[in-house]
Amino acid sequence: MDAAPTICTQSLTRRFGEFVAVDGIDLRVSRGQFFGFLGPNGAGKSTTIEMLTGLLAPSTGRIEILGMDLAAHPVEVKQQIGVVPEGMSLFGRLTGSEFLNFAGRMYGLDRETAARRTVELLDFMHLADQPKKLVTDYSHGMQKKLAMAAAVIHGPKVLFLDEPFEGVDAIAAGTLKAMLQGMIARGATIFLTSHVLEIVERLCTHVAIIHQGRLVAQGSLEELRAGVEARAPLQGEGSRSSGEKMTLEQIFLRTVGGMSPTDQELSWLG
Amino acid sequence: MTEAGFTARVTQLRAIAWVRWRLFVNSLRTRRGKLDLISRGIVWLGFAIVGIGGAAGMGVAAFFFVWEGKAGLLTVLLWPIFLFWQVFPIMATAFTNNPDSTDLLRFPLNYVSYFLVRLAYGSADPATALGGLWSFGILLGVGFARPSLLPWMLLVLLAFAAFNLVLMQTIFAWVERWLSRRRTREVMGILFLLLLLSVQLIAPLIGYFTTQSRPAVHRFGEILIQGQKYFPPGLASRSIAQISASQWRAGFGSLVLLCAFVFAVGYCLHLRLLAQYRGESLSETSAKPVLPQDRRLRLGWNLPGFASPVAAVFEKEIRSLLRSGPMLLTLIMPIFMLIIFRFGPMNYVRQPGTAFPGHTPGTAFPAAAGFALLTLTNLIYNNFGGDGNGIQFFYACPVRFRDIVLAKNVTHASVLVMETAVVWVVVISLFGKPTISLTIATLAGLVFAAAVNFSVGNVLSIYSPKKFDYSTFGRQRASQITVLISMAVQILVVGMAVGSFWIARHYGNYRIANLILVMLVVISLFAYRAVLRHIDRVAQERQEMMVAELCRA
Repeated sequence: MDAAPTICTQSLTRRFGEFVAVDGIDLRVSRGQFFGFLGPNGAGKSTTIEMLTGLLAPSTGRIEILGMDLAAHPVEVKQQIGVVPEGMSLFGRLTGSEFLNFAGRMYGLDRETAARRTVELLDFMHLADQPKKLVTDYSHGMQKKLAMAAAVIHGPKVLFLDEPFEGVDAIAAGTLKAMLQGMIARGATIFLTSHVLEIVERLCTHVAIIHQGRLVAQGSLEELRAGVEARAPLQGEGSRSSGEKMTLEQIFLRTVGGMSPTDQELSWLG
Repeated sequence: MTEAGFTARVTQLRAIAWVRWRLFVNSLRTRRGKLDLISRGIVWLGFAIVGIGGAAGMGVAAFFFVWEGKAGLLTVLLWPIFLFWQVFPIMATAFTNNPDSTDLLRFPLNYVSYFLVRLAYGSADPATALGGLWSFGILLGVGFARPSLLPWMLLVLLAFAAFNLVLMQTIFAWVERWLSRRRTREVMGILFLLLLLSVQLIAPLIGYFTTQSRPAVHRFGEILIQGQKYFPPGLASRSIAQISASQWRAGFGSLVLLCAFVFAVGYCLHLRLLAQYRGESLSETSAKPVLPQDRRLRLGWNLPGFASPVAAVFEKEIRSLLRSGPMLLTLIMPIFMLIIFRFGPMNYVRQPGTAFPGHTPGTAFPAAAGFALLTLTNLIYNNFGGDGNGIQFFYACPVRFRDIVLAKNVTHASVLVMETAVVWVVVISLFGKPTISLTIATLAGLVFAAAVNFSVGNVLSIYSPKKFDYSTFGRQRASQITVLISMAVQILVVGMAVGSFWIARHYGNYRIANLILVMLVVISLFAYRAVLRHIDRVAQERQEMMVAELCRA
């Protein structure tokens, strides 16, 4: 692991009134890691990602990105990162091409570079077919691809993605995965949240799990697996033969305690 | 309809009413919601005063018309009500509120229920309230003058109100449909340009007819007076006049014709709402594939003297504005105002040269330029309203908020400059050339007003933002706090500008106004600069609230 992590938080906390959404988490993400950030609904994933990208101020705690204090150097940090937040942050009354051009210039690219990368990204994301279509008329999947394109147009060193594969078709998901893996190969760091655990398991080298605002596990998949098995050895899981590795879904469910389906039955459902 | 079906429909309508009520109650949970309610109360108090005062005036006038046996003159009262009812919602979108009822279509809502809900949403509007109050005033006036006319008057006014209500909804629905297409907007743009050109011909023509051939003008007036009888306000007053003269059959016929108007317009509304009900999407473009040779590099705009991000935001703002049909329509209102003042009835009730703004470029130019600024207040006081989720992009990108706000101000200032130039040309065409010192005084006043509005608008845009879709008509309302403060600012600015003009006029020298206004410009520009200097900190402090408010579904 690098001496200076790319993303580092210390006692990161966020309160909304009395409610503690994120409770003193310490994250360490090294350069070149494909980092999956998991948790059940309402666990604090999106709040954390918003704080890491400067979209939400922490109540207490410290965030360092690429060795820079986010609170002290927000503009410098933002120049080095890309983000696809939960709401995608698009401008509906622009065309895809206009939006990417705009995003490139807002991230400091000159006009020629912004225009050239716009064309390349639209082609890469298969969004070039309808150049006059407004973003507001895009399908959800198209908007996701466009948000992703805008997040990478300036070649960020760190990419934050909140549910990047939600609503994206299989072909587009394949394109996005290839792009993200290419970025990792060139030394970028990716921090993503996703509910699709299979994708996280396939892509991510390291994972952290947040539950009720607290970080309950962090490390490589092997480290997490070992930790879970050490805490609670397997008992009667017939579906797994001995020697077979625990899946991320099993690790996740054991970590957050989600193995107790409700007894209540909705008898009126067809 | 079966009884079960009827009960289900009533249950749905009750549920919708309950949801509207809960939305209102829940909006009061925040401090801003409570302040909004207070502001709304003050605005409604103003409307109530206008409404009750107008109703009293109309009632007295109606009383005398009927008392004197001239019930036909009621048309003089009904035409202004009709015009106000239709024009006010378009001109004052800040006060109109017609929530997007298409959201309800996900539920198994019957078409009739949907139609009724749309009408009910449209009724909760100041224009309807004021129009209704004034009509009620007329009803009382007629009732006191001749109680026997009251039942018939009630019937006629109900039909008249129904017509206005349905027509207002129909205009909104159809104009929104037409403006949703880029091609239609382009056609309308060309028509508008033609109108501007033709305006230059109208003045000489009118001059020719008024000096050379007065009988022709009188004949035209006669045709207008005769023609208005066949339109709803005229039909309503004619029906009353005929009944009061015991011409029962003719009176009934006029009412039937009025009802026919209601049904005809209602049918047009039905066509639109049925299309919406069936899942119509007002898509901007057709899905034509692009040819390979069209994929050329398109450079973003350059704005000399400004940083690249400022130019980028400027380009984004202009492009978004050009795609917002209703906003464009609002922006051309100053021109219509000039045309109405020049050729409208106000111009003929007094002698030329004495009417306001009649034939005086000295008042027409400042008034129209001021109105041009007023049409922009929706944008100036809610800078980020149209960005919606895009606000997160502004916070995520490495650009200071000061630059983003500056770019938005530059956009609005550019539109204002363009509008003022057009207004100036139209004033010259219609009223004659304003004097140089008056032009300078007006421009100085405009810069002063713009700087003050931009300063206050920038702060309010951050403290009281409201998500706004500038591509739809009247389905949204600006924050009431913003509306109230912006009104106060306009009163203050207009008061100071008028005051300086008054002083100048008193001493017979417009240069005094110039001097005062230039001093005000300098002060206001300093204030603007101070606001801009602190806007980064303010935006940072209000970040969470801004994102929460603008990203709200």
